[in-house]
Amino acid sequence: MTVSVTSRLRIGFAVLIALITAVSVLGVGRLFQVREHFEDSSAHYASLALQNERMRSTFVLEQAALGGPTGKAGQRRRRAAFNTAAAAAASTTDEAQKLAEGEAGISAAIEMRKAAEAAWRTQVAKPILAGGRPQPAVDRRLTTAVAQGGNDIDVAIGHARATSRDRSNHDTHTVVILVLAGLLGGLLAAVVLFSGLTNSMRAPLKRLVDGARNLAGGDLGTRVDTGGPAEIETLGVAFNDMASALERDARERDRVERMKDDFLLTVSHELRTPVTSVKGFAEMLASQENSMSAAQREAIGAISEGTGDLSRLIDDLVDLARSDAGRLRIETRPTAVRPLLERVARQMRNSFSQRGQKLQVSAQKDLPRIKADPERIAQALNNLLSNANKYGHEGGVVRLSATRKGKEVAIEVSDEGPGMTEEELEHVFERFWRADSGASQRVGGTGLGLAIAKSVVELHDGTITAQSGDQGATFTITLPATRSRAKTHSPRTRVGAKR
Amino acid sequence: MTRVLVVDDSETVLLMLQRRLEMAGYDVATATDGQGALDGVAADPHPDIVLLDAMMPGMSGIEALQEMRASGNNTPVLIVSAYRYGEEPDEAVRLGADGCVPKPFDWDELVQRIEELAGA
Repeated sequence: MTVSVTSRLRIGFAVLIALITAVSVLGVGRLFQVREHFEDSSAHYASLALQNERMRSTFVLEQAALGGPTGKAGQRRRRAAFNTAAAAAASTTDEAQKLAEGEAGISAAIEMRKAAEAAWRTQVAKPILAGGRPQPAVDRRLTTAVAQGGNDIDVAIGHARATSRDRSNHDTHTVVILVLAGLLGGLLAAVVLFSGLTNSMRAPLKRLVDGARNLAGGDLGTRVDTGGPAEIETLGVAFNDMASALERDARERDRVERMKDDFLLTVSHELRTPVTSVKGFAEMLASQENSMSAAQREAIGAISEGTGDLSRLIDDLVDLARSDAGRLRIETRPTAVRPLLERVARQMRNSFSQRGQKLQVSAQKDLPRIKADPERIAQALNNLLSNANKYGHEGGVVRLSATRKGKEVAIEVSDEGPGMTEEELEHVFERFWRADSGASQRVGGTGLGLAIAKSVVELHDGTITAQSGDQGATFTITLPATRSRAKTHSPRTRVGAKR
Repeated sequence: MTRVLVVDDSETVLLMLQRRLEMAGYDVATATDGQGALDGVAADPHPDIVLLDAMMPGMSGIEALQEMRASGNNTPVLIVSAYRYGEEPDEAVRLGADGCVPKPFDWDELVQRIEELAGA
């Protein structure tokens, strides 16, 4: 079992969030640290500066201690004051040195000032305390050196403070850049993760989509390779199960359809066999009608008619049932129209002459051949002509004509009968439907002829329509013409029952 | 006189064909299954034409026809069948027959076909 999309997403998100959190926390922590360090050093330098001020003050106290009353007692007091001031100055300087530990520049500056102060003590303070008068030039020089030392310390502190600020600024920058780089890295990792996830789903999803299209297209044998992330694999397995179920159902349906068809054919076979002997014997008796009474002749006539109707009904029912089941097959071939019309007309001639009707056959010149199963189209035309024969006026004219209509050939059957109403036209191709006019009371037929004609024509990708005005009805069949108009086509020979 | 062998498993159809063909002036022999058909074509005098029902229990007309042709017997055979164009379960096996006539018969057509085949 491969890793599922959800667990991949979960792991991905966890890693991503951990990464971003770590980067953020570390970054912020480091920023605080830098800030803290900067503040610490600022305080440190402030206290160093303060200490420098203290040193200045103690130096001023030392200088002040040298002034005061002269004389023996004054001398003693001055020395004591000076010693106190000098001790304070020394300890202040020591503290400053302690504070400046590790800071070379400041330490050096303090050391310099300390040296300058020591020089001042030896060369200026000591002689004064001893009661002498040092040279004013020396006093000025050394006092200035001490003051300069203090200033140098300030400069060194300022310098160190600037360095510290620069370092913390630099550190802040570095941290910000590192955090940004970390976040960007996380984002990049997310992109890689999701595109990897998408890629791992793309191929198996495409297989599923293709499979579904094939299945929808009717290829029930379609199965997909189940692979990829667990969910898609599960989907693939479910898809295959569905396809198998559909295929199983289709096979079962086919089996049932085949059984129904076999049953239908067996039943029609079994029905036709007794009809054969009844019809045959009835015809045999009818041929001996001279030796029969009128009542017997009438009975024989009725038997003949009944078996004829029964035989046609069986044929029609079988055709319709098979047409519904999609088992009415046609074998189309390029078929010349005029010979077909003439053949059908010949078969129907007797029926027309019995009613004193005239059947006119006409076909446009240079008609292309039609793509048709001639047996089936003859059957459809037969049914239309039978209809015209039954509903047309006695002694009227029925026209059977063919004309070209673009890439199609239109074959028309028109009669001069009573015609049909709008409502009748709507139902004329329905099974067992018959025009509700007086004429239909007289005419026979199964009521299936037009329905069969429609089925047959539609099997040919043709159309069948009915029009009617005040007088007469016209049925039009249009059938596709063949593309080639080759005249030399040898019709396929087939051994088979003829209708 | 043209001798016709009629083979059909339906007694009534067989009787009807026999009576009507006799009335039409044919010499008629009958059989009710495929084996009878094979015996009939081998008997003396030979039939000039065989009307053979396609579907019969035991040896069917189709099987009998195949056997006849395999053994070199070229007596004309008209298959009669209650199936129609396009309905035949196995139409290909009709090859070897000289023609087919559907049941119920159009009598004029039947006689015409017999004349065409037996007269040749």
